[in-house]
Amino acid sequence: MSAAAPALKTASAPAVMTGARLLVSSLERMGVEVVFGYPGGAIMPIYDALTGSSLKHILVRHEQAAAFAADAYARLSGKVGVCMATSGPGATNLITGIANAMMDSAPMVCITGNVPQGVMGTDAFQEIDILGVTLPIVKHSILVRDATEIPAAIEQAFHIAASGRPGPVLVDLPKDVQFAETVAPFGFNIPNETTEADPDAIAEAERFIRAAQRPLIYIGGGVKIGRATEALRAFAETTGIPVVATLNALGTVPTDAPGFLGMLGMHGARAANEAVQASDLLIVMGARFDDRATGKLAEFAPHARVVHFDVDASEIGKLRETHVAVGGEIRPAIEALTARMATAPLAIDPWVIRCASAAERHAARYDAPGEGVYAPALLKQLSEMAGDRFVAACDVGQHQMWAAQHCRFARPEAHITSGGLGAMGFGLPAGLGAQMADPEAVVVTIAGDGGFMMNVQELATLRRYGVPLKIVLLDNSSLGLVRQWQELFFEENYSEIDLSDNPDFVKVAEAFGVEAFRIDRRDQVEAGLARLLAAEGACLAHVVIDPKENVWPLVPPGKSNAEMMEGA
Amino acid sequence: MKMSDTIHIQIDRADGSLQRLIGLVERRGFHIDGINMADEGAMRRIALTVRGRDAARSIDTLGRQIDRLIGVARIQAQTFQSEAA
Repeated sequence: MSAAAPALKTASAPAVMTGARLLVSSLERMGVEVVFGYPGGAIMPIYDALTGSSLKHILVRHEQAAAFAADAYARLSGKVGVCMATSGPGATNLITGIANAMMDSAPMVCITGNVPQGVMGTDAFQEIDILGVTLPIVKHSILVRDATEIPAAIEQAFHIAASGRPGPVLVDLPKDVQFAETVAPFGFNIPNETTEADPDAIAEAERFIRAAQRPLIYIGGGVKIGRATEALRAFAETTGIPVVATLNALGTVPTDAPGFLGMLGMHGARAANEAVQASDLLIVMGARFDDRATGKLAEFAPHARVVHFDVDASEIGKLRETHVAVGGEIRPAIEALTARMATAPLAIDPWVIRCASAAERHAARYDAPGEGVYAPALLKQLSEMAGDRFVAACDVGQHQMWAAQHCRFARPEAHITSGGLGAMGFGLPAGLGAQMADPEAVVVTIAGDGGFMMNVQELATLRRYGVPLKIVLLDNSSLGLVRQWQELFFEENYSEIDLSDNPDFVKVAEAFGVEAFRIDRRDQVEAGLARLLAAEGACLAHVVIDPKENVWPLVPPGKSNAEMMEGA
Repeated sequence: MKMSDTIHIQIDRADGSLQRLIGLVERRGFHIDGINMADEGAMRRIALTVRGRDAARSIDTLGRQIDRLIGVARIQAQTFQSEAA
């Protein structure tokens, strides 16, 4: 995303048009194809101008879903996602989605209507200072006070959203600006500043790597965002250094690649956490020492020095002392390092063998007794049956962790998850957005019964646009991850986690016009998944699972990653 | 407790820019003990005297976080300065 700021179409002679028409033309000129949104009073001129444009507007049923869908669209396509909403409640409903894009560095432009400038600040009907409200959760925001500024504002918004470390940009347009007639020039040239890696820092990184006996690559979402997946794979293959990944980096190295030890952190693989704790050098690439990855920070990787690659200089040294900092775009930096490392092999065989045998020893088992559905096995099988076009759009909870632990991901874009924010309700609209971004992908929303109900209304959107999204709804009739913590850390005081009065999800889906069926037993799983994946249109598999099933292993909150708990 | 630091910032006058700056400093765990501001054409020159709420707060990290705000042209403190400065 950072490397490819959207290209501009050629400039033409300016014509008189309304601000609303200018906005729509500006979006067209930025190459926007799909917009997720919901109309309302203060954005009506823009909706009026949408008619006859080349933009495909997807009318969602709640603005939060528009933001989530635009975010997922961006993550799969690599383009900037666009959502729009009216002032006041429309704009505030976007907020969770904006925060989600901010936390996971997804490029998104959010367009909001606002009340006319003359009444701004008077508590007018549906007036909210959305620019003020969203300040902490946007990469940037622009209040457009003059219609003439619209093309430049949109161009700037797209550039900021996609460049460097991507993120959401809000563009707020008062209604009088949308109505105003103006002549505005298009075609500003924002220079594409690329920051080159410092050769001295790369040389220093090489020196540290060659001096290490137990080096480990710790990758985050910044690798895929920096379009450095291939560069990272080449680096790992050239050096043979084992790799651990954060939740947002899964798939960057294929799940079954040699040397890949799995996810680190709270629900990470034991082999990954053990490797981190034993390592004497962490090569951190596009990751930010998030607490879910590090556990108790003071005891994280206690023997390791740190080489940190990140396009966002403010992440380097934020939480952990860095010995070698490599700023700038991550892809050229990794490529430069790989070129240096290729000159001579590392002598780290004992360490590589130690990591590999730990991975083998701690590999997940799928032989749980009983006839009930074992969710980890189902998710693994789902990802294998769906093949290389598989894209998981996960909600948040136990199912999300099981998907991360057990699904096979061939590429990082195949795993779309609410990592930083952990926003329940993400799964269904994210699946919608992902499927709009790539109609050929086998997009599967993996949701729990809690999060699914938070944006269940989007089944109507699937139906309206004929989006062939597949949904695996893992139903344990409870808020499972909260229930698990109450069991383990709150003396089994189960407070407000019971959802045993859930609606009949098959009937719910059918009422929306979406095909649905139930999987109750393990012996139904294979045929059920085959039916789901073969369905032409949208289809929901309602999977009944054991309410007592927990996510293992687990690092208790606030504890060191060395203290992993294992289930019975 | 560490003494306070003064950060000198040059930032544009776009809607929300002052709020954006002040909000960032407070959100990242710093008290603002003093503020001086003067307009200078299309830009504002701001001097912020800040103090971390606890020992873990790094003025260098705060400086880099301010530096990455869109609209910040220069930033300078005793221990660091932006490349543009």
